[in-house]
Amino acid sequence: MKRPEHARALLTAATIVLTSVVALTQAAPPTQAGTPATIPASVVAAAEKIANDPQVLALARDQSTDAAAKARWNQFLELVRIPSPPRQEHLKAAEIHRRLVEDWGFSRSEVMTRADGIIAGTDTNIVDGLPVYNACVVIKGSYSGRADAQHYQGQFPKVLVEGHIDVVNPEVLPPASDPFIHIKLQPYGQAVVATPAELAAIPDELSFDARGRVVENDKYATASKVFANAKEAEAGGGVRIYVPGYGDMMPSTSNAFVLVAAMKKHNIKPVYDIWICGTAGEEGKGNLAGVKQLYGFDQKLGTGSNPLNIVANFGLEGGGTVNFVGSYRFEMKFKAPVPRGGGNGPSAPEAMAAAIAKIADVKTPSDLQEGAPRTTYTVGRASCEPPPVGRTAAPSCSLEVDMRSTRKEPLDDMRKTIEPMFQAGASAENARYGRKDGTAEGITLELMWYGLRPAFVAESVDNVAVHAGLQSGIQLGVLTSPMVGTGSGSLNDNVPANTGIPTYQFSLASSAAGAGGHAFWEWGTRGAPATEVARMHRVLTAALIVSGFHAADGTVVQPSVGPMGKRTREVAR
Amino acid sequence: MKNLVFSLAFAVCVVATGTPAFAQQSGGLKVEFQGPGSHSSGAYGRVSALHAAARAVILIQQALPSGSYQITNLTGGNSVNAIASDGLVEMKLTAANAAAYQALVAAVTKAAAEGAAAENAFRGVKAGDLTSGAPATVRSVVTPF
Repeated sequence: MKRPEHARALLTAATIVLTSVVALTQAAPPTQAGTPATIPASVVAAAEKIANDPQVLALARDQSTDAAAKARWNQFLELVRIPSPPRQEHLKAAEIHRRLVEDWGFSRSEVMTRADGIIAGTDTNIVDGLPVYNACVVIKGSYSGRADAQHYQGQFPKVLVEGHIDVVNPEVLPPASDPFIHIKLQPYGQAVVATPAELAAIPDELSFDARGRVVENDKYATASKVFANAKEAEAGGGVRIYVPGYGDMMPSTSNAFVLVAAMKKHNIKPVYDIWICGTAGEEGKGNLAGVKQLYGFDQKLGTGSNPLNIVANFGLEGGGTVNFVGSYRFEMKFKAPVPRGGGNGPSAPEAMAAAIAKIADVKTPSDLQEGAPRTTYTVGRASCEPPPVGRTAAPSCSLEVDMRSTRKEPLDDMRKTIEPMFQAGASAENARYGRKDGTAEGITLELMWYGLRPAFVAESVDNVAVHAGLQSGIQLGVLTSPMVGTGSGSLNDNVPANTGIPTYQFSLASSAAGAGGHAFWEWGTRGAPATEVARMHRVLTAALIVSGFHAADGTVVQPSVGPMGKRTREVAR
Repeated sequence: MKNLVFSLAFAVCVVATGTPAFAQQSGGLKVEFQGPGSHSSGAYGRVSALHAAARAVILIQQALPSGSYQITNLTGGNSVNAIASDGLVEMKLTAANAAAYQALVAAVTKAAAEGAAAENAFRGVKAGDLTSGAPATVRSVVTPF
């Protein structure tokens, strides 16, 4: 799509210009090529040993069969249709819990999360006042059996591999009468849907039986065709598969559980424990609840206690970034005064509209100047309280706004620009009726929720997670050099990075094409199963480099990191 | 000025038709906005249907006489970290007669279109543009209820 016309925007009187931050944040611009990591020889040797280990190769071979590819595909379809809005992930978590025990070969004691959201050992089981519905399973390592094993308050070291299970859409759980998402199929020859009504009107959709298993009918056959890209899909009778979570990020998360089941089946033995988690709350108002539980992260303090003693983190939603975009999020309520007898008064919807309209005119540094730190915002959601019976005025309205930047200074300046606009909207509405701000006669404001995704700019690209992530890729031929990109992501990784835990990201997904992430028209088309296997091989290699590994020949690849995870606050129990 | 002009026209209409035979008319309108939406950061730069709806409300304030309308709802979007693909303004209109009521409806329809146009202009998109295959603009529809 077209970018904003910057020159014209600069001349627009209504535009709010955030020029001051540009000068503040231009120090040390990243290079195009990125920064090379210095990978220790021990990690290079470990990658070679692990990637070529007979057990690991057997796992990869096993996953390379047509039957395994089909099983992965079916599992994805069966999980992605379970709605999982942020903070309402309990249905998807429950299905993963069920499959872990009934289908994937784990004992109940190996499932580390409970249906009520509790994880034993963490000091953070409630985030933003709500339970956290993570789904985690452990591949036990040998370390705790050592006589000299070290631990943190009873927690032996562990490596975390996680992908989130929450999805932006639907906004809330559907009614019990129609509880699952309808997975719609549309030929490429037709235009991408423009409205939710058009999406709902698509006649072709996948079917599922009473047990939740996908029905392998002609629609399934069409949806299951594999393509290399959109062009081939269009030429070869491919379809857009519309379902929230196709791109963000259930294929990768689902395959994480395929991988952990395969590790169990092939008796992969790490030294440190490896936890595989489907995490809650990465999207929307989830406020990173899942990783906050795992890392004991307190957003008010900005510190994490790392109560589970995690020594390295691997996320499954991305591409190897080491810098993390920070964000501020606000939910503000505009409360209308009690109506005077018969007369008009300030309106909550109009006060909120005034605020949104002001925010809508903000230009960020990256809007205005090429090369400025990428800074973004949106009013993502708004709603009004229904008028009471017999009245027509909405008692209150609330908006939710998101602000992000790759650097703290422009993010803080964005906040300084936008935050006063909440009151400005209320004041503008009060002024229309001659009402004073801050009185019972006027619109008043209330902060309903504040979300923080802490930014992180890496001081060094050299840490155990990055080394393992890069060298596993080099070993398996998907990378040619140990370069770390200069980009930034906004991921679950923000929390471990700000707790001092080394982190790196991969993907376990393979899509031929897709678009519409976070929108009602999110879709994808199936990509090559071999790509998934290659990615599982890499992630497994990387995780075992850090955790250590009992190789098939009886030797032990020692962990690449010590047994005590970092933390920025001590656990308070 | 626009508000004043409309108020005068509204008053003239009321005077010209101000007999008991032309009873007061009221009704509800839904003003809906549809855009592509998407990731708040990854797709930043796309139009927001909610931003367009808010722009339209301000234009409605400017275009309609005080007391002729009441906005009962403003809603849209589905997540704080997604550009809103939908926006909705619900409102009630009250006019002295049918002709004045239709004038109000026309003014709301115009304000809605202008709100959408302002959002499209701010983000530099025009009718016919596509973003990842979907219509790139925000569009408005006004319907009675």
